[in-house]
Amino acid sequence: MKHSNPRTRLLIAFALTFALAPGLALAQEEEADAGPQPAELIVTPAELELEVGDSLTLEAEVRDSDGNVMDRTVVFYSRRRRSVGVNPAGIVEAYRPGEHVLIAMVPKDPEDLHRRAEPAVMLEIPVTIPNPPVATVEVANLPGHLYAGTEIGLRPTVTDISGAVRHDVEVGWSSADPSVASVDALGTLTLVSAGRTTLTVSAEAAASDTAIEVLANPVASITLSGAPDEPVRTGDVVFFEAKVTDASGNAVPDYPVQFATFGIPADGIVAPGAIGQVDDAGAFVAERPGTHTVIVDGFNNSASATIAVVSRNIRKDVEVVGRGPVRDRRTSDLWVWEGTDGRDYAVTGTHSADGHAYFWDVTDPSAISLIDTVRVDARTVNDVKVSEDGKFCVISREGASNRKNGLVILDVSDVANGIEVIARYDDQLSGGVHNVFIAEDHIYALSAGRRYDILNAEDPTNPYRVGRFELDTPGHSIHDVWVADGIAYSSNWNDGIVAVDVGGGGMGGAPNNPVMLGSTPYPSGWNHAAYPYRSQSTGKFLMIGGDEAFPYQTMRAERTPGRAAGWIHIFEWDDWENAREVARYQVPEAGTHNLWVEDDILYIAYYNGGLRVVDISGELRGDLYRQGREIAMFRPFDPETVKPNTPFVWGPQPFKGHIFIADNSSGLWAVKLVDAEPRNLGEPQ
Amino acid sequence: MSSRSRFLASALLVGLCLAPLAAAEDPEPPRRNYFVYVCAESDDTVHLLRYGPSGFEELDEITVGSFPTETEGPHGINISPDGRHWFLSIAHGMPFGAVHKYATGTNEWIGDATLGMFPATMDVSPSTGLLYVVNFNLHGDHVPSTISVVETGTMIEVATIDTGVMPHGARMNAKGDRLYSVNMMDDELVEVDAMRFEIARRLYLGTDPHAGHAGMDHGDMGGMRAPVVKPTWATKPSPAGKVYVAGNGDSAIYEVDLEGWEVSRRFDAGPGENPYNLEITSDGGVLVATYKSGKKVGFWDLASGELIAAPETTRRVPHGVVVSDDDRYAIVTLEGVGGEPGTVEVYDVATAQRVSEIDVGKQAGGIIYWKGEP
Repeated sequence: MKHSNPRTRLLIAFALTFALAPGLALAQEEEADAGPQPAELIVTPAELELEVGDSLTLEAEVRDSDGNVMDRTVVFYSRRRRSVGVNPAGIVEAYRPGEHVLIAMVPKDPEDLHRRAEPAVMLEIPVTIPNPPVATVEVANLPGHLYAGTEIGLRPTVTDISGAVRHDVEVGWSSADPSVASVDALGTLTLVSAGRTTLTVSAEAAASDTAIEVLANPVASITLSGAPDEPVRTGDVVFFEAKVTDASGNAVPDYPVQFATFGIPADGIVAPGAIGQVDDAGAFVAERPGTHTVIVDGFNNSASATIAVVSRNIRKDVEVVGRGPVRDRRTSDLWVWEGTDGRDYAVTGTHSADGHAYFWDVTDPSAISLIDTVRVDARTVNDVKVSEDGKFCVISREGASNRKNGLVILDVSDVANGIEVIARYDDQLSGGVHNVFIAEDHIYALSAGRRYDILNAEDPTNPYRVGRFELDTPGHSIHDVWVADGIAYSSNWNDGIVAVDVGGGGMGGAPNNPVMLGSTPYPSGWNHAAYPYRSQSTGKFLMIGGDEAFPYQTMRAERTPGRAAGWIHIFEWDDWENAREVARYQVPEAGTHNLWVEDDILYIAYYNGGLRVVDISGELRGDLYRQGREIAMFRPFDPETVKPNTPFVWGPQPFKGHIFIADNSSGLWAVKLVDAEPRNLGEPQ
Repeated sequence: MSSRSRFLASALLVGLCLAPLAAAEDPEPPRRNYFVYVCAESDDTVHLLRYGPSGFEELDEITVGSFPTETEGPHGINISPDGRHWFLSIAHGMPFGAVHKYATGTNEWIGDATLGMFPATMDVSPSTGLLYVVNFNLHGDHVPSTISVVETGTMIEVATIDTGVMPHGARMNAKGDRLYSVNMMDDELVEVDAMRFEIARRLYLGTDPHAGHAGMDHGDMGGMRAPVVKPTWATKPSPAGKVYVAGNGDSAIYEVDLEGWEVSRRFDAGPGENPYNLEITSDGGVLVATYKSGKKVGFWDLASGELIAAPETTRRVPHGVVVSDDDRYAIVTLEGVGGEPGTVEVYDVATAQRVSEIDVGKQAGGIIYWKGEP
């Protein structure tokens, strides 16, 4: 018997497969002997090193098992096409530095119609594109005056020949005269004595010299002011000021100082960790009661102050006043308002269900009653909003059977006599509207997860688009929008919170001409909600941003009740170009969703962490949770719902002395804060 | 006996009935087991179903997606040519959707790749193993979209192909070197050169005598003409070299001759039927169409071009359809409306009779035939 060739063996294998598993869904066509098959693919060059901007053509040759050259198609592609490209003719272009891989493959025999997954031959072609050489390196942060006896952490600015600022280049530091100034490998500049020297910073072949003059240290004394006479509470911010003077009593304003703090916690607090913090501007805040010391260090001199800190002691209990249970489907957002008839109403949406919105009479929160139900063609009514005058309501649609989602407008001007659909709007909103907002007769509707459309709703029976706002950043995405005083604040995940003038920003903006004012940084990329608020106690404009994240959710694990992550970010934002994140509120092992602020109290739907009520009065710094600024928390449990005993609070709204919350698992709740019962919490606070 | 012959013979028994057919037990129960995967788009689940001698049953329900507070929308699904993996498009992301890879049988998640806006229908080239996914982008702002090319071993998007407005449907030819898809809002069928990652040919299906297509700037097309055909699906080519296109907008089915690259026949499905997804038997004898608005499944004899039967479905919004590898059964998904469950129905292709059904998650849509076995 002759030895069979590989092709024959392949056919035999297929035949056996058919015999052993006749039900397998393999092609039913007759086998054809397609002749020699590709056995080898030779690409020249086999690996590449290209400079950014270079181009090169790959030559490919296909051979059969006998080494004969074959006329076969070769498919080229790049596994990192934004860094290195290759077209069907094998022309390679280098875009970005790095180690990359191109693929060349020979498709399976076009006459072989059996199912299979891999090409006949496939080859990886390594491509190295080195970083462009460094063009310049400079010291980025030398102050105007340098004083002997002080230290400065130097930072370099490295730029390559493409103009890119680089952070991946090793930098070297040196000083011509270490007796005047020395610099270590980390760039810490130690100013030793008065005199002149030259600093050199180098990266690759580039270097720069900077002549510096070190002045004699003029400091005679440092004082620290700002310590309060009376005890402060945890969470209260104390602003310390360091004054540096020379022997003549003159201030040395640019003399570098550093702040630090330590403290002795109150009796009974064990293993407290850090009990306070002070920032580089001297703003101190305590997390734990006790005796705290703040130090200002001027290298040769220092000063300190001691502060007594007591517990903030603001805790309240939460009392359930009433409920509007929704037990057979999941609840989404809520809105509570005073109707035109003077009674109070709430609307709640539903999620992953069948398009319901529920209307409740909440005039007496202890006797909440369902008064109407509106059902639209949708699976999710994610958001519900009511106009300022209480006359119309907008509900969003996702999962419509005709895939024309958009929004639905309801007449709620006479709730007692029924709620009617008065308009549907889906033009260019067909992919689903996730969130909406109503302000000054305009509806702001999220569209495509990318932007928001602005609809004129002066006649809510006939809304029409007048404007649209969309970022132009790569991969931009949006989740929510909130409008206050003529400025729209959208939550844009990686792009942070974006402020847009729609009539109140002073930049000529209007609903038909939205003008971007600025945005906050948001390194986590989790920005999901935003609430603009001017502090009643400080007058500062705060932007309160909320995360949404589920980093514990994996595709591999069995699904368990949702566990969210993320926290509240508090920005001071009086300058659109300069949002400063000054404080956070973070509950460990839970995550935020929607929020509301009223009377310097922050209400947060914290998903599996329940409702959280937080004191944000006064100046804010650090972690408000650890400072005892949490007033109350409440986790709604209901054993009879679609998700029994699984609190997952979606949205809060304070209203006329009560707090209404929508719980994804159990519906609408009305609660109120009451004086806390004495409890042993294990230690002070 | 070809599927067409079986069909015609059996059609005599059912009397060419166009009236709704009641669900019935399979008069000739299957001797094999048939496996399909079905997406429930509004429940973020995929269901592995088996129809066989023991009936129609669910073997597994796989929760998909990673954001529990969003409906991420599993839409399209397909199987690797060797049957070892299934691929699933997830429509919604931040903002881009993704394609995920799972092992068949164990349904273990293997990997994913972020693609474009609303990734939908897909197919895998049996010649290269590359996966082609249309980015449907149904978000209403009619802008040209793309087809993503994914290397399935690494789950890396290696190319995007500019196609048109709201591309949907994606089926390869048997050789794996051509992909057929439609641009819903351009009234176009496109033929993709799957080896060069570019559009090889475009065929305008509409009636606008001034409409051109090849080489047009698609950025302007949405404003130039209103789509009429609104094609939503293109089948794999038949052995005779025909591709069938669902005209969801004008309620027709188009037969396109690939050699002449022209519409060779147009089948009027009747007003209000709105064909959505299509599948043909392996011999090209019978075409099965879901009628999205009509709440029916149309069975067409492709030799005569005649509609043989259009039984009414048990639930609203028919969506996907596949035909078993032996051409015996057409398996159809029904989305339902609102809170209704999705339903999967099995039809005997020869008789156009519904022989079984099963409920799954909400908005059952994408479906793929995995295998048949004894």
